[in-house]
Amino acid sequence: MALLEFTKISKHFGGLQVIKDFTFEVNQGEIVSIIGPNGAGKTTVFNLITGIYTPDEGDIRFEGKSLLGLEPHQICQRGIARTFQLLRLFLNMSVRENVMSAAYPRTHSNLAQIIFRTPGFRKEEDRIRTLAEEKLGFFGNRLNGTFDQPVYSLPYANRRQVEMARAMATEPKILLLDEPAAGMNPNETQEITQLIGELRARGGYTILVIEHDMQVVEGISDRVIALDYGEKIAEGTYHDVATNERVIEAYLGRQHATRAK
Amino acid sequence: MSASQLSLSGRMSGVIERWNALPIATRFFGLLVAAATIPFLTSNDYVIRIAGNVCLFAALAVALNVVVGYAGLLDLGFIAFYGIGAYLYAILSSDQFGIHWPSWLTLPFIALLGVVFGLLLGSPSLRLLGDYLAIVTLGFGLVFAQLALTLDRVELPWQEGVVINVTGGTNGIVKLDPLSLFGFQLSNVTHYFYALLIWLGIVLIIVHHLNQSRMGRAWRSMGEDALAAETMGMPTRRLKLLAFSCGAAIAGVTGAIFAAWQQSVFPQNFSTDVLITLYAMMVLGGISNLGGAALGAVVLSVVPELLRSPELARAIFYATLTLGLLLFSKPRRNGPIILISVIILGFLLRWIVQAAAPDLLTPPTIKVAAESISSAFDRASQQFGILVQGWILFLKDPLLPGNIAFVILIPALLGLSRMKAGVLKLILTIPAIYLLIFVWETRFAAEPAVTRLLLVGGLLVVLMIFRPNGLLGKRKIEIV
Repeated sequence: MALLEFTKISKHFGGLQVIKDFTFEVNQGEIVSIIGPNGAGKTTVFNLITGIYTPDEGDIRFEGKSLLGLEPHQICQRGIARTFQLLRLFLNMSVRENVMSAAYPRTHSNLAQIIFRTPGFRKEEDRIRTLAEEKLGFFGNRLNGTFDQPVYSLPYANRRQVEMARAMATEPKILLLDEPAAGMNPNETQEITQLIGELRARGGYTILVIEHDMQVVEGISDRVIALDYGEKIAEGTYHDVATNERVIEAYLGRQHATRAK
Repeated sequence: MSASQLSLSGRMSGVIERWNALPIATRFFGLLVAAATIPFLTSNDYVIRIAGNVCLFAALAVALNVVVGYAGLLDLGFIAFYGIGAYLYAILSSDQFGIHWPSWLTLPFIALLGVVFGLLLGSPSLRLLGDYLAIVTLGFGLVFAQLALTLDRVELPWQEGVVINVTGGTNGIVKLDPLSLFGFQLSNVTHYFYALLIWLGIVLIIVHHLNQSRMGRAWRSMGEDALAAETMGMPTRRLKLLAFSCGAAIAGVTGAIFAAWQQSVFPQNFSTDVLITLYAMMVLGGISNLGGAALGAVVLSVVPELLRSPELARAIFYATLTLGLLLFSKPRRNGPIILISVIILGFLLRWIVQAAAPDLLTPPTIKVAAESISSAFDRASQQFGILVQGWILFLKDPLLPGNIAFVILIPALLGLSRMKAGVLKLILTIPAIYLLIFVWETRFAAEPAVTRLLLVGGLLVVLMIFRPNGLLGKRKIEIV
């Protein structure tokens, strides 16, 4: 049984069909990339999985149990965490607090314990503080010494890593990364490619990633799914998909596709 | 001059730095103890009453901060919770229904009902955000105000002809029992000041602890980006209700203490004006900063009181003007230049008018009445007033010229603020400042009662221009 099963999902907004009869699955320990031109519906897939949108048809199952009807925070508690394409960090909170905030579902102190600062509360607080530092530590030197700074003072590339650390702090089984290399320079892109590999190797996460940068996709993916106008047009290894005629057509237009042939 | 200024401001910032370096508990208890000495420094009930008011408003502003500052919910019905607490106390501790509950029972009960009302307002508003939430909560506040006014004649549907007076309408509920806690009955202003100070301390500790916990982090996350918070596993609906309830419980108990202190409740104690004042305090202090909310309460409770006395108002005006010029002029040396030029300009104008049309002028209106002078400060400020009125063009018939000057002043100041720095701006600033003083002396100083709130408003505008995030705020909004 696959970890995440996305079965025959359709979704439309008004007259616009964004996802059409789309089926795929992600197995435990895999890194799967979703590629496709702008507006293909990639981010919508993430929004459907995380419960921000409800599908018109079809079923989404995680560890064999349906996610339909659950609220986003419940889905997160099941073990699915994501990052956002345009970053949605809590800008006025410190780096550490951003990551600690995501430990909310894994903590249980009640109001009375918090107000009276009971030993149990302090212990829990220490635990998630260590957890946050551990997750931030994953990114090596980049974030060192910035833990107490507000996020708005951080450069873009570092913010991306804070957002990843935040997602990791929810202790997910699968990480959904929405264009982790967007807006990065070649060096940083290189770095992120390595990092995603390490996330699986050291962190043990299963990863579903949306990415535009084909170098990144090539570097990380076990499997690639290509999406165009909400429909799956190809699936397979990077090589299979990158040479697929329909994929080239979707990216470059029909003329190029025939020429490439 | 500028060297001594620099060292002064350097020393100031050194003190502030050292203060900020202290642990938060030390700072908190230090301020609390300092505030607790107020009744020992003065036996003037009026001063202690203002201090009590500061504590009351600070507690409310801190509670409002949980809802608006942390959780990001624009709650305009907040004042209703304060009112509900006060009215509940009145009903449970007066002859209105002949109920006289002991305080140790009433206060927790009101806190509990605050939670219930918080949920009541919160539940239908769960799906609302921003402006929409503001409108619904504003409606809630108005409904409360209407009910307080009209629930003096409630007819029971099952008992004909029986009319029950619940809230007392415009007459309110009077002759409330005083608070009585741990066998100690609160009977005078000083007692209530200490009760409110202790309550403010408790509120600050509770809210600070909440803020530094999973709950506070979740609230602030939600305030920053509700969707991201929800996606990161935080149950935003429950968190919203919790924020509403926390704010409501604190506001309710504060209202109860207020009612007991005043020994009466009236609908106008809970009007929209009070709500706006509270918001002003919170914004002035710096949203989502607890010390800021308390500081805002201090400034906005104390300043309007200070401005009640014309002498004090004058002292504040000139002190602010001089300090403002000296500290904020760029480059620094412009401050003294402007100041001296304005003084010279004043003498020059007066000399000209004296020579040309001496009939227009009038001697200073301030009369030195020996028996009314109580302190060195009063004497000095009166002397200063006479000096100023002998310097500026103090006209026999100041009303019309004052009004005209006022109308010219506003566009002049606006124009100046848009000008590029340079010699021209420097030169034009001089008559503008003179005009400002002229307007002050002819219009404002003459009618402190009328212009008091105008001045508070002006002060707010100036403070918010210099510190757009509030006095202690550090928040930054980034548009992506």
